[in-house]
Amino acid sequence: MIPINKKLIFSGILLILIAWVFIDDLVDDWGQVEGAPEKLQTFFTEDLLPPDWSVLEAEEWSDGSLHKPNGDICDENFELFCSKAWTGMVVTIKMAFVATLVGFFFSIPLASLAATNMAPLPIAIPARVVLAGLRSLPSIIWALLFAIALGFGPLPGILAMTLYTIGYLGKLQYEAMEGVHNAPLESGMAMGLTHSEQLFHVVIPESSNHLLSQLLFMFEYNVRHGAVLGLVGAGGIGMYIDNYINPPFDYNKAFALLIVVFVVVVIIDLISMMIRSFVTEEGDVKRPKWWSVILPPSMAVEMYSESEEE
Amino acid sequence: MLKLLNRNDLLALNRIILRSHGVGCLVVENPPSRGGDNVQKLDSESITLRGLTVGYDEALVLDINKTIYPGDTIAILGASGIGKTTLMRTIAGLIRPLSGEIFHDYPRRGGIGYIPQRLGLVRHSSVRSNITLGARTRRSKWYPSWYPLDSSLKEDVDNAMKALKIEDIADEPVRILSGGQQRRVAIARTLVQRPRIILADEFLGELDKDNVKSIITATKKIVDEIGATLVLIEHHEERAIEIADRIWRIVDKKLIEEGDSNQ
Repeated sequence: MIPINKKLIFSGILLILIAWVFIDDLVDDWGQVEGAPEKLQTFFTEDLLPPDWSVLEAEEWSDGSLHKPNGDICDENFELFCSKAWTGMVVTIKMAFVATLVGFFFSIPLASLAATNMAPLPIAIPARVVLAGLRSLPSIIWALLFAIALGFGPLPGILAMTLYTIGYLGKLQYEAMEGVHNAPLESGMAMGLTHSEQLFHVVIPESSNHLLSQLLFMFEYNVRHGAVLGLVGAGGIGMYIDNYINPPFDYNKAFALLIVVFVVVVIIDLISMMIRSFVTEEGDVKRPKWWSVILPPSMAVEMYSESEEE
Repeated sequence: MLKLLNRNDLLALNRIILRSHGVGCLVVENPPSRGGDNVQKLDSESITLRGLTVGYDEALVLDINKTIYPGDTIAILGASGIGKTTLMRTIAGLIRPLSGEIFHDYPRRGGIGYIPQRLGLVRHSSVRSNITLGARTRRSKWYPSWYPLDSSLKEDVDNAMKALKIEDIADEPVRILSGGQQRRVAIARTLVQRPRIILADEFLGELDKDNVKSIITATKKIVDEIGATLVLIEHHEERAIEIADRIWRIVDKKLIEEGDSNQ
């Protein structure tokens, strides 16, 4: 018989009830839920679907020549490279790359000061306050502030993403650093290693899996946010999405661009998985190939043992 | 006459003087182990535990009054959870004693080598970079942490790997090594560090006989070579007697030294 954890069930029911009380308090008119699926269905079938894949093509001017979105003549072999989706995505990826990298370099030392196993509380608390301050403003508000100061374009977008990256990544990093096993840290402390030696030679290698995963997640996050930052004129694919969701409403094209963002996010996730395999123990273990599931068991075992011998 | 004696003889002589006359004042010129200091007072190399009570919220071992002399090999024995590791971590300066004092003048940087129960290796780093950590403590702390080691320290790292027969796996990450290999890495790191005292917490673990023998031989050789004091926690009593020349046993919250008639 499956053992029943009464405390766990009670806690779960209690949490659901609290959430129900909160939502009931927040929502005044439950009548607005009526007809919601039909409205969504209409929006999807009439406005979003099918996605307009013309965003993957170069602009054709009245004289029949092909142009990039900025007006330059398209002299590429593939029309895709002159499309709004491609050029916008390239700008967004460049912005996200610079912001993630710069943010990472600033967040690592700040996170090491905020980690309680590396720094005393009088240092850790102010460092945490700085990180909390940086991430309490969403990147779109940072972008708005920089757009006011510097004008429109990719630079305010990059600066906004960088500051938000420091705050967000810093928090994830100090939590990862606090999760490092005590033994190597204690050995280092007893040996008399300095804070930076502990950070670079013990903590970063020990938490490398988490740090890498967070770094790649942040890159992916910044790529996704590139789509939002366009709303404040920060450039990139977000600018085109913003154009399409405003009058004269071209949701089919906006939807196609969102699918492009989704595909890029999935590709980044796959690259992340591959990169992290170098620092995870899973990467040390040889696994059977996925297609061995279609083989008879005896043959699959034989193939697996052969791949192990390699 | 002193110059005719080697370092180990001097340490042994010093221990006899210290034990019979309390505080000694023997001076050794040009000690071979640690570069930098030309003159070193051997009596200042000892550790004195005075009225030491260790524990966390609750005292585990009460009122310890002991002196650890240079070159000693001490094994701490006792049942599980009795306070052996707590005592060792207190000596290593990782936790504060509940009362009493510890006197020593070891340098804060590199003076103490600590091998915890789980060895304290950086599992995702290579064997070489783990051992290099020990060598880093031998240069000034003002060097940037990314600054490469000079050639003599690099050579020491290579020699330590050779001595412990791990040069073939120098570039492998520690996480994929066997228990015996990991222990060799931990010892090599401590060897390169050249500490004045090595605190090893059950670092032999549950290794097989052959591995234990070769690791003990290598460790003893190294400890003699660098003239360090070795304090280790051991569960296997026979093994402890074989390695150590002093046995401390924790019984009923008291630290008792075997063969010490003054207790």
